[in-house]
Amino acid sequence: MSASVGYNFGFMDEYAKKEIRRTVLKAVAIPGYQVPYSSREMPMGRGFGTGGLQLTLSLIGVGDNLKVIDQGSDDSVNAVNLRSFIEMTCPGIDTTTSVDEANLIQSRHRIPEKPLRDDQVIVMQVPYPDPLVIVEPSEDRRKIQHGEGNYSKLLVKLYEDIVQFDEITISHRYPTCINNHYVLDPSPIPRWDVPKMHQSRALILFGAGREKKIYAVPPYSKAEPLVFDDVPFRIEDFRDEHSVRRPCARCGCTSSFLDEFIDSENGEKVYQCSDSDWCDEQLAQQGEC
Amino acid sequence: MKIDAIWQPDKQQQMFRVLLEAMSRPGSIQSLPAALQSSMADKALLATLLDGEVSMCDRHALLTTSDWPLLQARQADAEQADYILCDGAQAPDFEPRLGTLSCPDESATLIIKVRSLYGGDMGLKLEGPGIEASTRVVIDGLHPDWLKTRQDWVCSFPLGVDCLFVDESHVIGLPRTTIVEVC
Repeated sequence: MSASVGYNFGFMDEYAKKEIRRTVLKAVAIPGYQVPYSSREMPMGRGFGTGGLQLTLSLIGVGDNLKVIDQGSDDSVNAVNLRSFIEMTCPGIDTTTSVDEANLIQSRHRIPEKPLRDDQVIVMQVPYPDPLVIVEPSEDRRKIQHGEGNYSKLLVKLYEDIVQFDEITISHRYPTCINNHYVLDPSPIPRWDVPKMHQSRALILFGAGREKKIYAVPPYSKAEPLVFDDVPFRIEDFRDEHSVRRPCARCGCTSSFLDEFIDSENGEKVYQCSDSDWCDEQLAQQGEC
Repeated sequence: MKIDAIWQPDKQQQMFRVLLEAMSRPGSIQSLPAALQSSMADKALLATLLDGEVSMCDRHALLTTSDWPLLQARQADAEQADYILCDGAQAPDFEPRLGTLSCPDESATLIIKVRSLYGGDMGLKLEGPGIEASTRVVIDGLHPDWLKTRQDWVCSFPLGVDCLFVDESHVIGLPRTTIVEVC
């Protein structure tokens, strides 16, 4: 593509990629530990997925098939822009909207409904990498707490939630313990997606561009949401007032994570699959029947 | 002038994916990318990861002096180096950096060259992150002291070293989290 002339493959220079690659290997070797790196300037604002983008650009090569997701959809503005930027700067790669066809997936806020495979890598865009930041302002002290596996302050925060609201009120970015040591921020995925990290067949990488951290959940690793023995972890409840599971208004699926919309004409609530590829696939299967 | 494939960015990208796969799935034998079949795995690996930002120790003089300017890495003692290239047939006789409790990433990565990653007399059972249940590898030409010494280095997680075993054209990763048992 002519627009790519003048840029190195993958936009970043090879030294920048090498540094990220070294960082990624350390991140995989120390599951859940946030490895610092010198996040480079990208031609977009920090906080728009620059961490995920730098990871993808350091991983991708000719022959890879990339899927980019923003809040479950391939057609949201963040996904469209990142995908077209990667297509422009990485001539020779393929892109797709299908989870089945992709071997590299960059995502914001969702892990696909369909279980990922061994040959896939998923890259998550992370705004706030450290789950301890809400209870400890000093990074020096947070690093010591992480090293010692000392998450008592975080547990007190969860306990205070239960005392005040009878429930842990964290809706997304639920702190999750990896391989019995480090607690990580799984990026703003809903609770629904947290169990998908446990014993995932695919490697999960996290990139925080603004905060300059990379971390990972290796495949087949323990990923346990932080809870108390007598207060089990629970995912979102999509039952209506009659305790019936709401279906997706488009495909009728009753086993996916639903987004809530307000119908602009009659003001009623409408529920639809958040994962657009999953929704399309359910519709296609019904068409075949 | 013909540039050896290991120095070409697109081959290094392929090599990195091989290394990522090796480190993510400890014990799985990863082959060099097709384009690097005629290259040596240890040099391809070093070319992929090193530049002037990091230091390396060639503990058992496996490189030639002409390799150093191309790798760009600073030379360092094994006690200080970010990367240590070792001959697996010789017993480990150094203390690598294990990182600190706050910064376990400031630890060495060991590249250990062995005769073969297929067959041989040393069978190892591996368990840990990246491995479904358990897996078994057989390494040929590894001095038995390595296992005991590695165990000492990785016994207090998150401190430790991460190893990459290479023969001529294959790589096996052994991050600090992998539990190794001789069988």
